[in-house]
Amino acid sequence: MDEETLHESAYRGTKAFTQLDVKTANATGFGAAADDYMERGIDLNEQLIRNKPATFFFRMAGDAMEGAGIYAGDVLLVDRSIKVASGKIIVAILNGELMVRRYKQQFNKAWLCAEHKRYKDVELTEFCDFQTWGVVTYSIHQHKH
Amino acid sequence: MKAIVDCNSFYCSCERLFKPKLAQQPVVVLSNNDGCIIARSDEAKALGVGMAVPYFQNKHLIEQHNVAVFSSNYNLYGDLSWRVMETLRQAVGTDKVEVYSVDEAFIDLDDNMDTATLHAFTMNLRQQVEQWTGIKVSIGVAPTKVLSKVANRLAKKNKAITNCVLVLNTERRIQQALEKTAVEDVWGVGHRYAQKLQRMDITTAWQLRQQNLLFARNHLGGVVGERLLRELQGQPVLGMKEELTVKKMIATTRMFGQTVTDLQSIKEAVATYTSRAAEKLRRQHGAAGSISVFVIPKEPPAPDGRFRHGPTISSYMALPVATSVTHELIKPAVQMVEALYEPGRAYKKAGVLLSDIVPDTAVQRSLFDHAMDDRSRKLMDMMDNINFSQRNDVLKYAAGGTTRNWKMQQNFHSPRYTTRWNELFEIG
Repeated sequence: MDEETLHESAYRGTKAFTQLDVKTANATGFGAAADDYMERGIDLNEQLIRNKPATFFFRMAGDAMEGAGIYAGDVLLVDRSIKVASGKIIVAILNGELMVRRYKQQFNKAWLCAEHKRYKDVELTEFCDFQTWGVVTYSIHQHKH
Repeated sequence: MKAIVDCNSFYCSCERLFKPKLAQQPVVVLSNNDGCIIARSDEAKALGVGMAVPYFQNKHLIEQHNVAVFSSNYNLYGDLSWRVMETLRQAVGTDKVEVYSVDEAFIDLDDNMDTATLHAFTMNLRQQVEQWTGIKVSIGVAPTKVLSKVANRLAKKNKAITNCVLVLNTERRIQQALEKTAVEDVWGVGHRYAQKLQRMDITTAWQLRQQNLLFARNHLGGVVGERLLRELQGQPVLGMKEELTVKKMIATTRMFGQTVTDLQSIKEAVATYTSRAAEKLRRQHGAAGSISVFVIPKEPPAPDGRFRHGPTISSYMALPVATSVTHELIKPAVQMVEALYEPGRAYKKAGVLLSDIVPDTAVQRSLFDHAMDDRSRKLMDMMDNINFSQRNDVLKYAAGGTTRNWKMQQNFHSPRYTTRWNELFEIG
């Protein structure tokens, strides 16, 4: 055994190498043929985040949006660069509180709507302190068994 | 044309992003260890809360006016700073943006735009940064960096009129702006020079601009002063930096949470700071040629009750070979602090400074060191890799201790909303 092996770390976890090391994988035989088709693996960020500096993550709490398929504990991806429009699920600031609701607009009226029968729609009048924080683009739900 | 983009009360704005309730309320952010006030919102400034003054001195004011207080949350500020800079880079091109500090960037703008176009363009940029990141910025535009700073300062001062954007592109407007700017408020004129100029009856930036280059050379620190004056006169001499400069010095220093009297705790603190500094050093692929360590003992307050800073006691050592390997740095650091320590004294602060930094590829090793070098390098890479992916220093040197009762006090820390999965904002 040469000295190099002797002094190598016992740690063999996944953190010991980077993606760069795997790319061409020093393979021979069958592996070498596969090398020609090597490409970057699927990266969720590519699919889920269109605008990185403007995308923020939130954690859903409560049942207000269950009708839209958003459950407590889900991760929400919120893009601030997307313009709000009727029908979009948004992070809203209403009277100083952040909340997730569906934004609805009809003629000169607008509402924030929860998707659960326990909650009433809130009409946005000139007396509300309302602003859009960002638009929810994806929610990530863990399926428990 | 140059523009400076400067975030408005940056740290306070970061804290407000996830707490919209605080939008109109005074907010302050405290330094490491909750010692001093390092950032104030406009509302807090208006109340008369001082900058860089000890927190306890303003405590009555803060409690009386219900000021929101935060410990510094650098994970959050760093992430938002990246977002602001990235937004700028996407808007104007990577090579046109020079990040100047955590909350400021210079931008190189097209020289052919007329006033209206410049104004519309910067207004748009400002709007985009706020929309994407939630951070409000002020933008000053002028022919040179120094003048753009002047513009920015005025834009911030008169927010209601300027909407945080001010373009100075004609001689008349530049003159008006300089007449309203005191010499001490000119970027690059330090406190000392300002006093000197005032004694010579030069009080406004416009008066300073009337001087000749010889004057600047003689009275404002030679070539640097000359460049400052040229910039003030509208000749760009400070270009955009082509690339980020490698730091020549890396310092890690902290106040202790409570004063420390035993040698063991100080050694642990110094070892931990050294690890942190070495990590920063490796990130910029540097190696340090020398290391210094300092400690500051606690002084009893002066007879008139004023706060006193203890003397800084320091020690310096040139290393046999420039290195970035943590244990090669910890050893001399701990030795030095052992020599500095005086039993019976109470200490409130310690720090480590790495200097004479060279690129690690240029390090001259002696023949015998060679084998060692490779192995240490592997170890360091692995350690950085694990610590970076797992966070919170999973791997650390035993010299750094395990109890850390000298650790920072952070009583008003907000969650790291943008960098930790388990600290995301919970929304209903």
